[in-house]
Amino acid sequence: MKDIVCMSGVELLMEYLEGALAPDVRAAIEAHVAGCQRCDAFIASYLETPRIVRDATRMEMPADLEASLLAALRRAMHRHDG
Amino acid sequence: MTVRAAESSDEALAALAATGDEAAFETLVLRYQHRVFRLACRLASETDAPDIMQDAFVQVYRHISAFRGGARFSTWLYRIVTNAGLMHRRARARRPAESLDELLPRFDADGRLEDTPDALRAASRVDELLDRQVLAKKAQAAIEGLPDLYREAFVLRDLEELSTADVAQVLGVEPATVRQRVHRARLMVREYLGALAGDRP
Repeated sequence: MKDIVCMSGVELLMEYLEGALAPDVRAAIEAHVAGCQRCDAFIASYLETPRIVRDATRMEMPADLEASLLAALRRAMHRHDG
Repeated sequence: MTVRAAESSDEALAALAATGDEAAFETLVLRYQHRVFRLACRLASETDAPDIMQDAFVQVYRHISAFRGGARFSTWLYRIVTNAGLMHRRARARRPAESLDELLPRFDADGRLEDTPDALRAASRVDELLDRQVLAKKAQAAIEGLPDLYREAFVLRDLEELSTADVAQVLGVEPATVRQRVHRARLMVREYLGALAGDRP
C-alpha cells in the first residue's frame, strides 16, 4: 500500500481508532505517527474533543420538569383513550 | 403489576405499556427522562428540550405497540427523540450563528498538516483557557453549527457515548457511515475549539 502522510492518516483516523482497518494499513499509520509530531498533536486533540464538548454540555433537567412532563403525558394518554 | 416496575427490563415494561399499562409507561418515562432531556438539549437547545421531550414521549406512548422486542427499547427511544429534535429544528428554521461546514484541517501540497504541533494541540487546552459558561455556550454553538447528519452522529456517539453499532441502529445506517459522520463532525469541532483556544494569531 501507499505510504501514509498526515492527510491520508487523518482521513483514516476514526477507522483506525475503532479497529476497522486491515493490519497493513494500521501498521503504516502507526509507522507514520511514530515519526510525526504534528499527527501526534493532532490525534491528542482529536481524542480530547468529545470530552470537552461533553463536559461543557452536561445539562441537568430542571427539578420541576418531571411533574409538568407527567401531567402533559397523562393528558395526552387520556385524550388518546377517549 | 405483578412484577415490580423498578426491577423490570425496559422491554418488559414496553410490552406492558403496549397493553395499556400506564404505570409501566410512566416507569419508562422516569427511567429515561434525564437522558432524553440531555439529548434534546444537545440536539436542539435547552429552551426546546421540554417540548421535544414531551413530543417524543407522546410518540412513544402512541406507537408502543409497534415497538418490536427484537430491538432494544433505548435504541427505539433514541431514534424517536432524534427525529423529534430534527422536527423542532426545522420548525424553527433557525440558521446557526456559525456554520462549521468549512472547518477542516489544512494540509500542504505533500499532504502534511500545515499547523505546528503546538497549534494542533491547542484544541485540547480550550477548557483550561475559557470560562466555564463561555465554553458551555461555545460548545452548544459548535454542535448547532454542524450539518444535521453530522450533528446527530456526533451527539449520539461522542456526547451520549452510545456505541457505533447502537448509533447505526438509531440512525438506520451502516456502522461505516456512522464512523464517517462522527469523524467529519469531530474534525470540524476540533478546528472550532482550536480557533477558540487561539491556535492561530
